[in-house]
Amino acid sequence: MNILELFLGILTAMGGFVEVGELTFAVNAGAKFGYSLLWIAGMGTVGIIVYGEMAGRVAAVRGQPVFNLIRERGGFDAGLVTLTAATAVNVLTCAAEIGAVALVWQLLADWPYRLWVVIAFLVLVLSVWVLPFRWIERVFGLGGLLLVIYLVVALVEGPAWGDVGAALMPNVPVLESSQQYMLYAYYAVALTSSIMLPYETYFYSSGAVEDKWKPSDIALNRVIVMVGFVLGSLLCVSLIMIGSQFFGPRHVEPQLPGVVATSAAAQFGTAGLLVAVLGMFFAFAGAAIETGLCGAYNIAQFFGWPWGKFRRPREASRFTLTWLAVFVLSAIVILAGVDPVSVVEYSIVFSVVILPLTYLPLLLVANDERVMGAHVNGVLAKVLGWIYLAITTVAALAAIPLLVLTHGGQG
Amino acid sequence: MSDDAIHLVRDVVDHEVVDVHQLPCGVVDDIELDFVPGRGFRPVALLLGPGAWQRRLPRWMAAIARWLSGSDEARVPWSEIAYIGERVALRKTAAELGLGGADRKWGARLSRVPGA
Repeated sequence: MNILELFLGILTAMGGFVEVGELTFAVNAGAKFGYSLLWIAGMGTVGIIVYGEMAGRVAAVRGQPVFNLIRERGGFDAGLVTLTAATAVNVLTCAAEIGAVALVWQLLADWPYRLWVVIAFLVLVLSVWVLPFRWIERVFGLGGLLLVIYLVVALVEGPAWGDVGAALMPNVPVLESSQQYMLYAYYAVALTSSIMLPYETYFYSSGAVEDKWKPSDIALNRVIVMVGFVLGSLLCVSLIMIGSQFFGPRHVEPQLPGVVATSAAAQFGTAGLLVAVLGMFFAFAGAAIETGLCGAYNIAQFFGWPWGKFRRPREASRFTLTWLAVFVLSAIVILAGVDPVSVVEYSIVFSVVILPLTYLPLLLVANDERVMGAHVNGVLAKVLGWIYLAITTVAALAAIPLLVLTHGGQG
Repeated sequence: MSDDAIHLVRDVVDHEVVDVHQLPCGVVDDIELDFVPGRGFRPVALLLGPGAWQRRLPRWMAAIARWLSGSDEARVPWSEIAYIGERVALRKTAAELGLGGADRKWGARLSRVPGA
């Protein structure tokens, strides 16, 4: 195993963990409910580790990414439903991330928002066109590591460690009304979804094929997923803590990324603000690229087209035209005046609905000794796989009723 | 049925098809069967493309899909299959079997763009 590759893989997984949906939901969860939702971050992290590891292992053994398996195991009809829903969620998430990049840049220069959207769109398309896959992963993943500033801010603010420790165990706080309990459940579902976003599994397994992983890379996959995702989840935990420690007492419920960055400015002045803004740019731009590419990966894999950044655009022309179309559609959604934060709320909630449809075929293949041979799921992976499938199914069934009952999380 | 037998629905339908150079060139959307009196059905061809998968959709969805993607359909004789494993591998190139035409057409247009 190449140590440099392992190190970069871990850092990339960590830096690519946070996107605008997770940022806003985590900080607001902390501002509204204190530390009490920290256990959801822990639970979600174990879930994404279980399925991320499975997706990487299946890709390394069979050379096939998730959407090949969805079609193979789910059949054409169920697969088409999943593909349609996943594509809609990818476009919405990509739109939200493009809008969020524009909002972040607007903090640096007060140009019109729509102009920043167009610039963000062009920069993202050019990056995907020009950069090889590995460099896309590294530039945006490593840039996203600047978000570690939020971890430092959370620690410097002086957390109540006893309460943090207690909140990492499953708990439901005492709240004033049934509406508050519903809001708590809504945030629990949304936070789970934002950590276990389905595009992360699609992108991770497609990336494993792009990087030509083989069964000998399974150990690398395991370490990257376990260490990288745990470190990435620390960023999510720190955002909940900042919400609780900084925004909650001030009765602020941050809706914009720029407001979240004020917590870094309060501790470290202009330098802190700049690091936070740069970190958010890389994290959101990375997520926009991942969702844009995922839209094309999924469709190409479902219909059996040549795909991948390892092929020249003319050799995978329908794949190339599809990711261009996803970016164009996403930019149009945002240019039409839709608020990126509202878009992200809907994309996060609808994401959880497709999680079980994504995970079940993956679990069935990873459990199948006939196709996985010696690399079939062990007892732990099997048990955790079924537990998390049950958890995501319950969350999927509850997501839309909770969205309606809480008026989109407004209480 | 022995363990080595191929289960057409499980092992062939909805599996990725690759050509002799391992280039993806579709998914098995349907299988053409021939009835041999006294011996039952035997597979004679793989069917790939929008025309084949649209038959698996409800009529109204098939109409939308036809409008979006046309109804081209390719027929690959069973004898052109090299082996059936995780993928269905063919003996010839995609072009020789009339597969992947859309990618070649769009690829020729894209090749005018710098970096393509």
